[in-house]
Amino acid sequence: MGQISLQAVCRTYTTGTTKQKVLDKVDLQISDGNFSVVCGPSGSGKSTLLNIIGTLDAPDDGSVMIEGVDVSTLTENKLAQFRNKNIGFIFQNFHLLPVLTAAENVAWPLYFKGVKRRERMRIAKEKLGLVGLANHVNKLPKHLSGGERQRVAIARALVCEPSIILADEPTANLDRKTARKILDVMKKLNEHHQVTFLCATHDNLVVEYAKQLITLADGKLTTEATTKAEAKGAS
Amino acid sequence: MDLFYIAALNIFRNYRRSAITILSVAVGCAALACFGAFINFTFEGLRETTIRTQLGHLQIYADGYAENHVADPWSVMIHDVDRLEEVVENIAGVSTVTHRVSFSGIGSTGQSSVNMSVIGVDPVREVDFADFEIVVKGRNLLPGDTETGVLGVELAQGLGAEIGDWVTVLTTSRDNIINAVDFQVIGIVRTGSTEYDSVFAKVPSDLVQRAMDTTAVERVVVMLNDTADLPLIRPQIEAAIAALPEAYEIRQWDDLADFYDAVVSLYNGLFRIFAGIIAIVVMFSVANTMTMAVFERTGESAALRAIGATRGITMRMFLFEGIIIGLIGSSLGVLLSWLIATGIDVAGGISMPPPPSMSQGYQAYLKLTPNVLVIGFAVAGISTLISSIYPAWVASRANIVEALQKQ
Repeated sequence: MGQISLQAVCRTYTTGTTKQKVLDKVDLQISDGNFSVVCGPSGSGKSTLLNIIGTLDAPDDGSVMIEGVDVSTLTENKLAQFRNKNIGFIFQNFHLLPVLTAAENVAWPLYFKGVKRRERMRIAKEKLGLVGLANHVNKLPKHLSGGERQRVAIARALVCEPSIILADEPTANLDRKTARKILDVMKKLNEHHQVTFLCATHDNLVVEYAKQLITLADGKLTTEATTKAEAKGAS
Repeated sequence: MDLFYIAALNIFRNYRRSAITILSVAVGCAALACFGAFINFTFEGLRETTIRTQLGHLQIYADGYAENHVADPWSVMIHDVDRLEEVVENIAGVSTVTHRVSFSGIGSTGQSSVNMSVIGVDPVREVDFADFEIVVKGRNLLPGDTETGVLGVELAQGLGAEIGDWVTVLTTSRDNIINAVDFQVIGIVRTGSTEYDSVFAKVPSDLVQRAMDTTAVERVVVMLNDTADLPLIRPQIEAAIAALPEAYEIRQWDDLADFYDAVVSLYNGLFRIFAGIIAIVVMFSVANTMTMAVFERTGESAALRAIGATRGITMRMFLFEGIIIGLIGSSLGVLLSWLIATGIDVAGGISMPPPPSMSQGYQAYLKLTPNVLVIGFAVAGISTLISSIYPAWVASRANIVEALQKQ
């Protein structure tokens, strides 16, 4: 069993009288240190898969184990603590708080863990240095470029040192050059810090970085190890 | 502290909207505090008028007066007046001690006859009370006056009396013998109450005692320098008169002031209704702002919940915004009410028309007290907090996945 384990997961959306099954008895295993990419056409269920793995959404049926924990057994507050400790999120629209500086944005998840402000800011600055933004710690998001904002979001995802980072369309709002820089940062973190990445994307550039490629279509899922994959990457 | 910090930053993101909301809280707080201050002024004015024109702070009667003064008034007269007055006026804080003796009779100037309530006072000791009667014509009683008196405006009109005219009053003495006394009108006054002015006649107490064929008085009236000293001085007076041979009973002004009690009750009711209206206005204003803030920041708050904020933290973050708006708004409201009160002071007050059954208008001021400021602050602040609860609850319960898609 891997770090992320899905068994017979189903998820159906109902719109009026129409029911759309976006995940149909999906099984998936992702082990430590993987760099997995979920591909598929729009509406195929990529984001839904990420949301279920990220415990933001619950499946209609099936089981989801993250780090050996059956997340369906956790209460709302326990889920929040679980996410805070184990899962980092990188959103397509960054979702940074515009009133906070880059360092304060990165530091926020540590507040939920109860870390004191001075220590939070020290760790946040360290993480911003890791993504190449050491000179931007006091800038507000509006004074940063799209790529810089996404790097702030990556630093925020990293700050609690989670074992898994979920990225939903991480390059969607970035130009190619910036997108490649961001992916290089993620690749470095994956290789040197053993952080597991799971990205949902339409972007072929992201696919180039995948060790494990997951394809979703018609509610069904197929996985394949890419040439970059190491033996432990896919199962 | 960190949640307060982020809440404060969020408030100033949309500073125009926040400023308008804070202003509405401030105006609500100030309106309530000023209304409370106006009521304070009214209560104080009415209280002091009641005390200094009619009742004094305390009235001392012969023991049993309350039960017997209607059925057998002669049995509950005070006979040793001089000694009683001497004992009471030697107590520190007592301003004036005087006595009253009164009767009802029919007055006439030869032109017409009118029912009147004649009150006998000691002109020497009555100076402090007279301050609150407004002399329209002539003058008030002065030390040395004997066969003279003043009339209420309406009574003088009813009698057709002018300064210098003689009024004859018919009444019955303690032996039920019809008796008559004459006095010369030296003044026409307003007491502040039109009804009272239509029966009011004030003469030296000797004249009343002669008409009633007695040397006793009905009551001794005690006035203090300061109404606030009453709780301290009353026990001293009670102890002092307990040592005298005659037995007495004491009644405090507020036991006797039914009109004052009715006004206080009415105004307090109005104040509660006004506080309710203010609270509702503030709540709608703040709820509108908070709902918009929650709606605008749905994605942000969902992202925070995704990275570890519990529902409680999310709710507190928005509640703190409401609390900060309430604190700033209410603080400004306190400042605003102080400015308004000071402005009215500087402008010489607000001209008010005569109250019901009063004959004179007056200048109104705002008497701001810690009590009304705290009530204004609390009503506005608590309304703000209450109105923030539902939007904060909505923010904390939003579906994270749907909310993340909104931005």
